[in-house]
Amino acid sequence: MQEASLLELEGVSVSFDGFKAINNLSFQIGSAELRAIIGPNGAGKTTMMDIITGKTKPDNGSVLYGTPAKSLLRLSESQIARIGIGRKFQRPTVFENQSVFDNFLMALKKSRSPLDVLFYRLENTDLERVKVLAEEVGLHEQLERTSGELSHGQKQWLEIGMLLAQDPKVLLVDEPAAGMTPQERMHTTNILKKAAQTRAVVVVEHDMEFVRRLECRVTVLHEGSVLAEGSIDHVTNDESVIDVYLGR
Amino acid sequence: MKTAFKNSFIYKNPSVLIFLSALAILTIGMTILSEGFGVGLVSTSFIKILGKTLCFCLIAIAMDLVWGYCGILSLGHFAFFGLGGYMVGMWLMFARTKDIVINSMVNAPLPPTPNEIRDAVGSQIFGVVGGSEIPMIWMFADSLLIQLLLVILVPGLLAFVFGYLAFRSRVTGVYLSILTQAMTLALSLYLFQNDSGLRGNNGLSGLQNIPGLTEVSQDIISVWFLWASAIALGLGYIIANWLISGKFGSVVRAIRDDETRVRYLGYTVEIYKLLVFVITAIIAAIAGALYYPQAGIINPAEIAPIASIYLAVWVAIGGRGRIYGAVIGAASVTLISSWFTGGQIPNISLGFYTIKWIDWWLVILGFGFVAITLYAPSGLGGLFDRLVRKQVNEESK
Amino acid sequence: MIRTFLFLVVYFVSVLSVSAQQNDLQSILNQNSKAVERASRKTLQPVLKSLIDSKLKEVPIFLEKWRAKKVWIRKSDKQFFYINNKNSTPIKLIDISSGEIVGLEPKNKLKQLKPNSGVRSIIASTLVQFQLIDIDKNRRLAALKAIERDANSSHLNALRATINKEPLPSIKARMLRLERLLTIRFDENPTKRIKAINGFAGDTNVDVRAALNPILQTKIAVSTILPEDKNIAKILKVGDSISTQVAYDILVKNKLAPAQISIQERDKSLIANIKNSEIAGIKTSTLDNEQSRIIAYQTLVKIGAVPDFVTNEQRAKSLKEFVFFNQYIETNKTVTTAAKKTLDTINARVKVFSFIDLGLDGLSLASIYFLAAIGLAITFGVMGVINMAHGEFIMIGAYTGYVVQQFVPNYTASIIIALPLAFIVAFAAGVALERLVIRHLMHRPLETLLATFGISIALQQLAKNIFGTQARPLTSPDWLGGSWVINDIISISYIRVAIFFLALAFLFLLLFILKRTRLGLEVRAVTQNPRMASSMGINPDKINMLTFGLGSGIAGIAGVAIGLFAQVTSELGSGYIVQSFMTVVVGGVGNIWGTLAGASMIGGLQKIIEWFNPSNTLAAQTYMIIFIIIFIQFKPKGIVALKGRAAGD
Repeated sequence: MQEASLLELEGVSVSFDGFKAINNLSFQIGSAELRAIIGPNGAGKTTMMDIITGKTKPDNGSVLYGTPAKSLLRLSESQIARIGIGRKFQRPTVFENQSVFDNFLMALKKSRSPLDVLFYRLENTDLERVKVLAEEVGLHEQLERTSGELSHGQKQWLEIGMLLAQDPKVLLVDEPAAGMTPQERMHTTNILKKAAQTRAVVVVEHDMEFVRRLECRVTVLHEGSVLAEGSIDHVTNDESVIDVYLGR
Repeated sequence: MKTAFKNSFIYKNPSVLIFLSALAILTIGMTILSEGFGVGLVSTSFIKILGKTLCFCLIAIAMDLVWGYCGILSLGHFAFFGLGGYMVGMWLMFARTKDIVINSMVNAPLPPTPNEIRDAVGSQIFGVVGGSEIPMIWMFADSLLIQLLLVILVPGLLAFVFGYLAFRSRVTGVYLSILTQAMTLALSLYLFQNDSGLRGNNGLSGLQNIPGLTEVSQDIISVWFLWASAIALGLGYIIANWLISGKFGSVVRAIRDDETRVRYLGYTVEIYKLLVFVITAIIAAIAGALYYPQAGIINPAEIAPIASIYLAVWVAIGGRGRIYGAVIGAASVTLISSWFTGGQIPNISLGFYTIKWIDWWLVILGFGFVAITLYAPSGLGGLFDRLVRKQVNEESK
Repeated sequence: MIRTFLFLVVYFVSVLSVSAQQNDLQSILNQNSKAVERASRKTLQPVLKSLIDSKLKEVPIFLEKWRAKKVWIRKSDKQFFYINNKNSTPIKLIDISSGEIVGLEPKNKLKQLKPNSGVRSIIASTLVQFQLIDIDKNRRLAALKAIERDANSSHLNALRATINKEPLPSIKARMLRLERLLTIRFDENPTKRIKAINGFAGDTNVDVRAALNPILQTKIAVSTILPEDKNIAKILKVGDSISTQVAYDILVKNKLAPAQISIQERDKSLIANIKNSEIAGIKTSTLDNEQSRIIAYQTLVKIGAVPDFVTNEQRAKSLKEFVFFNQYIETNKTVTTAAKKTLDTINARVKVFSFIDLGLDGLSLASIYFLAAIGLAITFGVMGVINMAHGEFIMIGAYTGYVVQQFVPNYTASIIIALPLAFIVAFAAGVALERLVIRHLMHRPLETLLATFGISIALQQLAKNIFGTQARPLTSPDWLGGSWVINDIISISYIRVAIFFLALAFLFLLLFILKRTRLGLEVRAVTQNPRMASSMGINPDKINMLTFGLGSGIAGIAGVAIGLFAQVTSELGSGYIVQSFMTVVVGGVGNIWGTLAGASMIGGLQKIIEWFNPSNTLAAQTYMIIFIIIFIQFKPKGIVALKGRAAGD
């Protein structure tokens, strides 16, 4: 049913001071797939993203990525980002003192070596690429503005836009819809759905309505491992899921 | 054509042109007023103060780059400044002592051998710390070229090793500041030892006498150094603006604001920080190499941690995150400081107590600095910005 | 009674009792009249010998008077008299035997004997044997001390003769010990010496080592074959345990090989042979390098003007013909072996003791660092704020102590007042700083660091303006003066012991406050999660203010403690600030145990490094800081790190 997976976590565990944040977690995602992850607070959603992006090193288990599969465990955060895994944080973190354009330019897929960056000159292709991306996330009229002046929703889009600019193969998105108006949510859903046509997108979200609108497979995490997986209807009808999460 | 201009460096950084013109006017003006070349309205000692102030401005630019733009509050850049001074001072002292020694041996029955000259130079320089051997670290002291290279290499290497270790282990914030302070303290304590090979707390002296130019008066040499310092400062200003104006500057500022996020964009933050740290260390070293021949003496006390903190104070007063702010801060604080401590201001007698400005200047500076941190966090440069913006707004109306 | 007693002793002391022809002091002196009048170190011994051999009871008194320059001679008949008051006219003469006034003479008829200091000290050491049996125990003790300070062989017999007569056990024990020490040094019977030497095994007192070390003194000797009759310590291999140059110099000194021509001698010879700016036809102006000077010298050698160089081959050849060895100056091999063995046991123990002493030093330094740093650690832990003015709070405490001593002259009382007062003053200063500055810079740690630095320069300069630049004393009460001496190696000054207990008291006090009180609970809550704490009704502003005050107050107390052993200057605090930061960083933030660990590590480490290189405390500090920079690489969060999410990133 499923093609070869792009990212695969196998038997991953990690504990902080005896508290098992992730417990024997296994998870796969294909190369062009949208996946939502839900779960109560402390279920290990953020920790899982930390492990994939290299912030946290697991006590055991493996994290494999790409074809041929390559372990991510020995790579640094920036190396993992460079080989195609992008991450958006829960709170929008854009560089508020810099213009929207500069934010995009920094994220644009280009050499990250300091010398190349130092001698970088703006090319027309890059200019066009930024314009296209800005249009995609609806910020094409804000390019010259300082990003600190943007509204909360716009900052979220800018961050998603920056993620897209990195051209990652895997996109990890943490609560993209938090604090958004209904229209903004619509827009966000569309952006994510479109992105998932060409790459793997993992969305962590609390809001069930939002998840429902993504129309994708859902993984439910609980106490650091997978509780259920399947369509939104499947998991919302699952007894154990109702017990720990939806029932309350 | 027009867009090409719009993308040009000068268009993006209008302050560069203004700054360079101001610097040129100052330097040429002072030359005309100087005793060495002009009408003699400005004393040689004031020319020296100006030249030294320009060197302080240069290191302030370095400090602003590393702290204001990259977010590393380094309390160690004066160590690099001092090291630069030591490197050039070694040549100045060695070459001049050698000249003196050769002169004194002219009438010896046998013409001196290279070994005899070396021994005599050794006991001349190191007699004061009870030695006569020339230490290994002086092996290149005879060569101006190599010592000039060492001005860049030694502080650069120290900055590289220290920065590599500190950034690799992701020490940030106040921890990093304290670590840099520790580095500075270690270096100055090391130099305070008599067997450090750099004359312990005596330091290197007589640096104002340039070997081979003993005939030229200080009136003229001081103007030369004023020019050299001005050119270095101008170049430093351009380089600093170039570094921070493009995408590199964007990344560096992003690192200052949110290091973790930059890492997730795929940039190896450590290398960027290291690069900025090393480049600024080298700028600081060059500033020091220009400063100490004008000051005439260097000793380990100059490297003590307090000096680096003063450097941070200059930049904070000037307004960090603005290159011209650093220059304004360094220039104003050092000039006002030499004004206050130079005894030019009459003391105020209150009858029961006389306010001596020499004693009270540091109190004023200390509390004034606290006030600026509290009420004008963007410093003098921030005030300047506000004025300019007001002007622009009024014009656009 | 005493006189007879003295007489008996003198009798015992005399080893060679040669009865004098006339048993009269004046006549003995007259026989040696010249030697007495112009006494010198060389001529003194026979005089003293005949005086002691005479066994006259007046001898000790005479020696004392002689030493005190109270012996005069009448020019006319060369008779000796004592004169107590030389300013009276005419001068009263006192008979040297009877002690009666026997005549009057004007000053110009008399001559005072003025023995020089060398002679006087020899007289003094001769006198010791009389003093050892003095009725006054203080004089006996003084005599013992004099021997301990500067002994000679005559004292050994004097001491042996008196030990059994000593009535006081404490002095007797001391005499017995001294007798053994003198036996080692002066006895001629090797068996007795070895017995004495073995008896001192493991005794770490300095005097034992002082007695043993000379026995093991060696000199380098040279010979064609190894002599069997000499007490050889070690055979020296040329180029290995003795450098070739040193070995050859010894040969030259013993005239066993021709001298080498040093560069200086060569150049001297060259200069001596300059004629018309030429040396043997070579122009002096060409002699500006070693090569040409050697050639010029060899030219001189050829014409026979100077001796030839000694080549390395010649040198090696000469050296091969001889054997070099370290030879004990002490000729008896069994004695040196015993001394070496005993000294080895002593040295082993000395090492252990000096390690204990080092531990004590480290402990005391650690307590000082702990006191200086704990306040900083508390504020840093709770508020994330680095207070650069912390050192100035230490200074404020020290100056408070100084000011208190100006008003309360009793040192004990003034310290008792100063400690709490320093706490109060520094506490108030800390609260003021927190309210006026730090509170407004919340969440901007780097700005806080700089602003507090501004405060620090202002306060330092203010202190200079008020108290001047010279150091002010903070005197400790007498009961804190001096040191607790355990033995010759282990000792520690009482002030440092007191500081140790002060640090200990604060450790427990803070532990109590943090673990057992409401304030402590709130402080810990704010440390771990300020936002959560404030949502639970804790007022973080109040907690911050109190902790800052507490931290500053302890700094004030540390200031009094530091001021007691260091001079109070405006720079007192800044000397400790970097070490305090290091302590906090190394120990780990927000934890008293961490600060304790940090202080112990830094204090201990500094002492250990100083132990390896005792002459250079600057280098020790340098290496310690480098070590800390490397340490941070491996434990960036310190020894005791806060765990979990609270640690924050």
